Amino acid sequence: MKKLHECLITLHNLVAPHHYRMVLQNKDLAIHSSPGQFVMLEVSTGYYPFLRRPMSIERIFSDGVSILYKVCGEGTKILSTLSVGEKINVQGPLGNSFPIPEGYPHYLIVAGGIGVAPFPALVEKILKVRGIPPEIILAGKDYNHLLCEKDFKQMGCKIHLVTEDGSAGQSGLATDVLETINTQGETIVYTCGPLPMIKNVHKICVQKGWLCYASLEAEMACGEGVCLGCVLPAKMEIENEMMARVCKEGPIFDTQVILWDKIGDR
Amino acid sequence: MDVSLQISIGKLILKNPVTVASGTFGYGEEYAEYFDISELGAVTIKSLTLKPRLGNVPPRIVETPAGMLNAIGLQNVGIETYLKYKLPFLREKKCTIIANIYGTSIEEYVQLAEQLEKEGGADAIEMNLSCPNVHDAKSKFKCPLIAQSPEWVEKYTYAVRSITKLPLIVKLSPNVADITEPALSAEKGGADAVSIINTLLGMAIDVNTRKPKLRNVVGGLSGPAIRPVALKMVWDVSRTVKIPVIGMGGICSASDALEFLIAGARMIAVGSYLFRDPLVPMRIIQGLRDYCLTHNIDDINKLVGSVIVE
Ligand SMILES: Cc1cc2nc3c(=O)[nH]c(=O)nc-3n(C[C@H](O)[C@H](O)[C@H](O)COP(=O)(O)OP(=O)(O)OC[C@H]3O[C@@H](n4cnc5c(N)ncnc54)[C@H](O)[C@@H]3O)c2cc1C
Ligand SMILES: Cc1cc2nc3c(=O)[nH]c(=O)nc-3n(C[C@H](O)[C@H](O)[C@H](O)COP(=O)(O)O)c2cc1C
Ligand code: FES
Repeated sequence: MKKLHECLITLHNLVAPHHYRMVLQNKDLAIHSSPGQFVMLEVSTGYYPFLRRPMSIERIFSDGVSILYKVCGEGTKILSTLSVGEKINVQGPLGNSFPIPEGYPHYLIVAGGIGVAPFPALVEKILKVRGIPPEIILAGKDYNHLLCEKDFKQMGCKIHLVTEDGSAGQSGLATDVLETINTQGETIVYTCGPLPMIKNVHKICVQKGWLCYASLEAEMACGEGVCLGCVLPAKMEIENEMMARVCKEGPIFDTQVILWDKIGDR
Repeated sequence: MDVSLQISIGKLILKNPVTVASGTFGYGEEYAEYFDISELGAVTIKSLTLKPRLGNVPPRIVETPAGMLNAIGLQNVGIETYLKYKLPFLREKKCTIIANIYGTSIEEYVQLAEQLEKEGGADAIEMNLSCPNVHDAKSKFKCPLIAQSPEWVEKYTYAVRSITKLPLIVKLSPNVADITEPALSAEKGGADAVSIINTLLGMAIDVNTRKPKLRNVVGGLSGPAIRPVALKMVWDVSRTVKIPVIGMGGICSASDALEFLIAGARMIAVGSYLFRDPLVPMRIIQGLRDYCLTHNIDDINKLVGSVIVE
């Protein structure tokens, strides 16, 4: 499978302040992509920035994929200046994907801020293979930071909106809502967002006996498992503590394998 | 015209002068999905230690202008796992293997080299005497590297030289006042080649938290930012020693590789730029061939050290 693609940018929209959606056209990339995987974008042809930028795959179409990103530094700033019709070099798809095990009547998604990025593709896949619309807790700082609400509605999901300032939906944190949710039968939780949120989602899932998969981040250089820069301490098999590569063993992890005590709040 | 890219390191003959830098290519499996890795002059694997190592606490990498700092701390599978699970893949692909090794004592280097030779785990050995990331920067103001002491370089090299017939490469550090001194010591100790250079020590701070961006505080700088420094060191060393120099540090293109060859490197390695473009080694091999054709050079060895200093 080819993993380096010249992609045509066919859409590039501001979807909220500092947040953009970009559609990358390339059949090869689309065919091989699964929900949860990511791509590495070459944002500059020169040496600044030197490294590619990792971005989750937001949706998978027949002839391309979309990404949803937040401008937070030099690389994403450059990305935001690219226009429809320009080309960008994309490496991917990379990493593993969300498992969607059978026999779970409840799929629950907890998304914080830009952490919503990998979930539209996941929802589409769950609908396709299990026929059950997931329930979604969509959280953000304020109403501006609640992304993809419309998409999830169209897909038939039950949505809980939460904002820190109460400007939309319930006021508070994603985890406040998660605590109050009680389900009948086996439940599986998918989460992505700020690290403190993911940690708390994990804790709640442990209490409730729910299986939890998180999409995790780390500073990345290669995205392919060779540099060993992106590791997190984990216990993937019984006994053996290891440094798991977020780009290879992840980015999707069963939150029970991560050694959370050994990870500081970054 | 036929162009020969063939070069030799000790008694090892390589089909071209292009390898990859240790620690930027794993054990070959990942980038084998991108190109036929047997096309490389050699595959240089991540540093091996006797026991597996977990490496440093993350964050371990940070991007810097035209490069990056890393403080991986030699995370690796250990020699046993390498021989059992990584080597068969490289052999099946018919790669020439440069096995990079790291020990905390002379005995460990000797043991690693002996085992590699006995079990056919390498076609050449590269002794990493210059990893900047295995010392505690907080407790020791100075991080002594073997490569910083010409005397120790000679001792370590000699010890490994005495027990192996495999071509022996010694990888040196740029974090010294004069790199020709340890290079001469490596030659005296019996090395067949020297690798110039490992990473330059560096640091980056997050001004908002006032914390170093690397958990290890300091790390090794690589990428095009260090290329002119590496090139100058290759030039210095290649004028001083008679053994071949393997040049590395910020090589991103055929033109960069040519600079190193012309400065005096017999062979070159691509490191960090692989992260940007995994196909860069193939582009360099093609680029070298094209250059030779346009400049009427039938043997790449004729380019080595051909710099014209007026
Ligand atoms: C697997 C993966 C998937 C990702 N998916 C998305 C996505 O879908 N949408 C999105 O907006 N962002 C995503 N990110 C984060 C995104 O890669 C970073 O925000 C981006 O690289 C920052 O680049 P920059 O040059 O703009 O900022 P920089 O100037 O490099 O950094 C700005 C800030 O971002 C932080 N940062 C840099 N790199 C990363 C990183 N890899 N992870 C987390 N923080 C980082 C820095 O510490 C700094 O505080 C993902 C990261 C990973 C590892
Ligand atoms: C992520 C990373 C890991 C490295 N690991 C090793 C290693 O294990 N052993 C070693 O001898 N050098 C290691 N190096 C140094 C490189 O082999 C090389 O000497 C250096 O990066 C300069 O080349 P470059 O600028 O092309 O990357 C590492 C470099 C990087 C960037
Ligand atoms: S980014 Fe290099 S190993 Fe994950």
